[in-house]
Amino acid sequence: MTEVLIKVGFLAAVALNGAIIFTIMDVKGASWMQRRPGPLHVGLRGFIFPLAEILKFVQKEDIIPTEVDRPVFKWAPAYVMVSCVALFAVVPMSPTLVVADLELGVFFALAISSLGTIGVLTAGWSSANKYSLMGGLRAAGQLIAYELPLILAVVGVVIQAETMSLVGIVEKQIEWGVPFVVGGQIIGFLIFMVAATAEMMRVPFDMPIGESELTMGFMTEYSGIRFLIFYISEYMNMFILCAIASTLFLGGYHVPLLPTEWVNFYGPVVLLTKTAILGFILVAIRWSQPRFREDQLQNLAWKILIPASLVNILVTAVMKVGF
Amino acid sequence: MEEFFNKIKESFTDATLEFETITIKVDSTEWIETHQNLRDQFNLKFFSWLSAIDWDNEVSVGEAPKESVSPSFEIITCLSDLANTNLIIVSTSIVKSDPKIKSLVEIYAGANWHEREAFEMFGINFENHPNLEKLYLPDGYEGNPMLKSFELISREVKPWPGEVDVEGMPEESESDKSEDG
Amino acid sequence: MVNALDPQNINSFSEASVSVEIETEDMTLNIGPQHPSTHGVLRLVAKVDGEKVHDVKPVLGYMHRGYEKLAEVRTYPQITTLVNRIDWVAGFSNEIPFITGAERLMEIEVPERAKHIRLILTEMARISSHFVFNGAYALEVGALTPIFYAMEDRERVLDLIESVTGGRFHPNFNRIGGVKPAAGAGPTTKKDIQDLPAGFYRDTKVAMQKVIEAADQFQNLIGGNEVFKKRTKNVGVLTAETAEAFGVSGPILRASGVKSDLRTQTDYLPYDQFEYDIPVGENGDCYDRWDVRVKEMVESAKIVLQAIDSMPSGPLQAKVPKVIKVPKGRTYVRAENPKGEMGYYIVSDGGLGPYRLKVRTASFSNISILPNMLEGALLPDLIAIMGSLDFVLGDVDR
Repeated sequence: MTEVLIKVGFLAAVALNGAIIFTIMDVKGASWMQRRPGPLHVGLRGFIFPLAEILKFVQKEDIIPTEVDRPVFKWAPAYVMVSCVALFAVVPMSPTLVVADLELGVFFALAISSLGTIGVLTAGWSSANKYSLMGGLRAAGQLIAYELPLILAVVGVVIQAETMSLVGIVEKQIEWGVPFVVGGQIIGFLIFMVAATAEMMRVPFDMPIGESELTMGFMTEYSGIRFLIFYISEYMNMFILCAIASTLFLGGYHVPLLPTEWVNFYGPVVLLTKTAILGFILVAIRWSQPRFREDQLQNLAWKILIPASLVNILVTAVMKVGF
Repeated sequence: MEEFFNKIKESFTDATLEFETITIKVDSTEWIETHQNLRDQFNLKFFSWLSAIDWDNEVSVGEAPKESVSPSFEIITCLSDLANTNLIIVSTSIVKSDPKIKSLVEIYAGANWHEREAFEMFGINFENHPNLEKLYLPDGYEGNPMLKSFELISREVKPWPGEVDVEGMPEESESDKSEDG
Repeated sequence: MVNALDPQNINSFSEASVSVEIETEDMTLNIGPQHPSTHGVLRLVAKVDGEKVHDVKPVLGYMHRGYEKLAEVRTYPQITTLVNRIDWVAGFSNEIPFITGAERLMEIEVPERAKHIRLILTEMARISSHFVFNGAYALEVGALTPIFYAMEDRERVLDLIESVTGGRFHPNFNRIGGVKPAAGAGPTTKKDIQDLPAGFYRDTKVAMQKVIEAADQFQNLIGGNEVFKKRTKNVGVLTAETAEAFGVSGPILRASGVKSDLRTQTDYLPYDQFEYDIPVGENGDCYDRWDVRVKEMVESAKIVLQAIDSMPSGPLQAKVPKVIKVPKGRTYVRAENPKGEMGYYIVSDGGLGPYRLKVRTASFSNISILPNMLEGALLPDLIAIMGSLDFVLGDVDR
């Protein structure tokens, strides 16, 4: 029992801290790209402002409109958050520092990541707001469409690594000497990142929120702590998907040339660094790109990404059998 | 401009060129034909605006006309030609007791909103208009605000011209300047 | 009974099965008056079927201030204060046609220097208006960064306007017969009149160079972006014929391929002394409307630079009577404002104020085309098209 509690606490702590770091990165990145100071006053040059942000949201009134479906409306944010945190359980920060080294780790991660869709959809539906409804429906359509390329991109890695355990995948990359992104999965990596960006609902795939069209999409009616939960889970999702991407494609907790016997010490740092680099790319994209249109988004998924990932699987399989 | 005015004068008898503005006055029965003619013969395809003037001797706002006028609505449209500088003001008069005139929407699609505005502001009925309903004013608003008989409440409270208005004329404080220039 | 085995029927059945559509009820979506992309308080009642927009009904009047009525109880000098609040993004441009109209009726010849100052400030107002459009439009198609660049660059231009007129948005700087003595200039004595502030020419040159650079930057940052092109090219195409019939003017009309610019056609300001291009679009889509405005910014900057170099000396005001009474008569003066044709039809009865003042604003006619353009568009396109029309609610409702 204690072990379970410790594990859950560890998960929540890492995921939450990851979300906070990514929030700082996003906001500081924004101010840097937009030639403006950004947050400066809380803590050292504004670097702990997310804490103030959290306090601000917590003390705000939690407004629940009268017409909403109350239980669903209230629990939808929690649903989104839990599915995010659970996702991190299988990500290894070092061979031993992993909450659950599942035999079917990849399968678990992908299954859990699609659960968040239900939370977003229920949030949009229960809000009794047309903008929220449209946002929720857009989110559902988008998450379903990008779930497929996400899974198919990972299949290539699984074929190459011959295992579905994430620790196993990293070990395989150490064995190979180079990460999979160099060793033949570059297309898979790109597809994974695009699909993951869509899963996170970040620019240029932020139609479910689309503040210039749908005000705030499925979050329109939320306020106070419930909005905060959505807000944090957005960054948590970003953090965790980046961590999974680094694990699957970038060699996870290990970098070539470093001694493998010390991996338990430098593992977490290496993984977080890789995650942060991927996160920074996402930040740069977010603040420099406009938003796709809904039909363009669907076309990209069904007409480009899915065929490309199928070809990727085929090529990987042929290479695997042939060599 | 002179050239165009001479051309206009051949087709319309009551045409004037004053202050660089060509105005033609037509009878309200010829309203549609005139516009059709101007659009097709004179290439005035750009519909600039439509509005009305309420001519009345008894006014509740502003100054009454110096010379007595016969109470009527004057309806004005402004048409122009994009390629050249040609611009024309078409004006017609209708009686106040039965203010109605044919709608121009068939000829110039852009007349739609302008006619709706004139309808709510002056109470002029545009016949054959596709949806003649209020444009600006809220539902249930009574009266036609642009009529000269429609009171401006702020001016009722403080009669015009108020003392402050006259004192604050910029020319008085800058009189030394204008002498200079 | 239809014989299902008949070859003809089979054919029609198979067609029917592909084109089958689920009957859905349209949802009425109320966009505005409080919505991030309606530029104020425009309200659109849209019938949507999923993402598809079927029927759009604009509801106006949330910003209606009744300027035409208010003008009837004011004197001519007071009306300038009112009219520069019509299109507040380019406040200075609104004063020009009105003042020109009053001067025309009074037959006052404005000194060249005053005309040049008016021209410079009008072009600056155009630049600042297009900056706002650039930032806001990028925001509407989802790019969050350009508005910060646009606002920063616009502030430089507004600072210049402020240094001359004393106001950033509502200068109220024109007087019948010329312009007001500039703010922040030298002492006021009879001989030594106040003029443009010290260092104005130098600052303007720097700022206009920055404007040209900024326009270049926008071309790269926004115009060169593939996603932006995807969102705007062939979206909301407006043909020249429709535009003319609806009275659509300004950059929107030029984007549809009509080379019509009132600056070349009317002589309200001495534009004929300067060399500049009139950018014209080809397809009349959202991208062209954006492109035309960015290019116009550069042209305006060039005009300002030329006007600075050829600034004549002389008085700022013509001789005008102490109490301004406009003789009986009527005139229509139109001008090329950032948003299109703006004009004032002044009906004077020889009094202190006009008997009737008709204000023709660009945005009013420009957005009257919205129901036509939005028919069958997608919801994100609705925002993109609406944004590309660049309207200001004060200019629509007056």
